[in-house]
Amino acid sequence: MSLPLEPAVRDDWHVLCRLADLAAHVPAGFRLLAHDVWATRDAKGAVSVRSADGRALPVTLAYGHVFTSLGAPARPLFAIDEVAEPDRRLATCGAVRVRASGLRLVENFLDMAHFPFVHTDILGVEERPEVPRYDTEIRWDVDEVWATNCRFWQPLAAASSRGGQMSEYRYRVASPFNVMLYKTAPPDPARFDVIGLSIRAAEPDLSFAYAFLLLLDDATPATTLIHFQQTIFLQDRIILENQRPRLLPLSPKAETPTRADMSSVAYRRWLKAKGVRFGVFEAAP
Amino acid sequence: MTLVLHDWELSADAYRARLLLGLLGLDYAKVPVDVIPGGETESPAFRKISPSGTLPVLVDGDVVLSEIAAILVHLAETRDVACTWLPCDRARRAACLQWLAFALGPLRASDAARDTAMFEHGGPWREPEVMAHRALRVLEGRLIRQALQGEPFLVEGGPTLADVAAFPAVALAVDWGETLTAFPKARLWTRTVRALPGFVTTPGVPEFL
Ligand SMILES: [Fe+2]
Repeated sequence: MSLPLEPAVRDDWHVLCRLADLAAHVPAGFRLLAHDVWATRDAKGAVSVRSADGRALPVTLAYGHVFTSLGAPARPLFAIDEVAEPDRRLATCGAVRVRASGLRLVENFLDMAHFPFVHTDILGVEERPEVPRYDTEIRWDVDEVWATNCRFWQPLAAASSRGGQMSEYRYRVASPFNVMLYKTAPPDPARFDVIGLSIRAAEPDLSFAYAFLLLLDDATPATTLIHFQQTIFLQDRIILENQRPRLLPLSPKAETPTRADMSSVAYRRWLKAKGVRFGVFEAAP
Repeated sequence: MTLVLHDWELSADAYRARLLLGLLGLDYAKVPVDVIPGGETESPAFRKISPSGTLPVLVDGDVVLSEIAAILVHLAETRDVACTWLPCDRARRAACLQWLAFALGPLRASDAARDTAMFEHGGPWREPEVMAHRALRVLEGRLIRQALQGEPFLVEGGPTLADVAAFPAVALAVDWGETLTAFPKARLWTRTVRALPGFVTTPGVPEFL
């Protein structure tokens, strides 16, 4: 018996696994939105995904991952234009399991205020905790949430960093469980590295986080890049697992926003307007 | 001679090796291994230095070690002239080996519980959290008895390899949701280990426990 899913979640694209995790002709089972789904890869690399009742589900292969939907997506998977640039490298970081709503993971990803305290001496320093003013907007035409003009002093912004830098960030929530950031690339400060985080919401309070990198850095070994991201995410994971409730409250009075939380406020407002309920905390009436 | 450690930041065993290298004040080169998601420990090249695919691997000249017990003992025997970490005194050495084996035996259930909590496919342990709690109670009992003798570590007279091997299993238990509220002596002991000169941390070790 599975819960009826709201269209905003049912008809959206969701990450299922890394493409490399599927062996040819060996069906692999995954939990997605409290449903069981099965993915199979044929010898030519084509992937098919089926629901437990045998329905063929839509598939898009992108950014080293398999994306699917339990419904009928009204639009293609989010596009990241940088993927076409010839000097970009793709690295996939694998799945990390977190006992928290996927929406909490996205919200944590958008939050800069925790850098100095959670990613101390990597993404922030305790002496410079302030988050300078930035802009947030819900872009209804493309149905995305953006935070722009974000700046933060970072002692070790990336695996390729040689020293501290004033990092410039742009956050983009492309769908409720897919978020990415564009961040000053240490090897070329005029351009941006892209870090994507796609969440497979297995249950309302259980998530698998898949991070991928589209970087300009061509000198650092891929393993070092992956380990850097894994280290960062492990630090976040402890915070996420200890947040209560595990689901994300959307009511405005649930948690008082500060200026640094403006992106979180926009994200929650947008989720509410879209009617997202999976992973949302609903207080008893 | 440069020491080389084939390493993964998220591995509790690799942290055991990094912790001892730090406490001994040793320089070493790290070779990052793509365990997850890359599965590099399954590759033929890695299996040449680690026959059963275990990590970390320590390379010390001609000596190549892929079992964490051997790595810790080897470093103590070759780099610890003061005989601190693997005591020369027979009674203390025996106690050290006893608790080292415990830390790398039953207490490893905590590592398994952590792997199960953090990744989709955990290890081969059954009910690792139950086993880990059992082992944590044994550890707590030992630390209570030690405290009654005025001893803050697992072996009387100071820190040994037993503490180094046990620390990651206890301090990283928070990764599988165990915050040690029922194990006050173990909490106190983690603070004592953290205060040792040369202590190094790893992501997941709580700042305040
Ligand atoms: Fe973070």
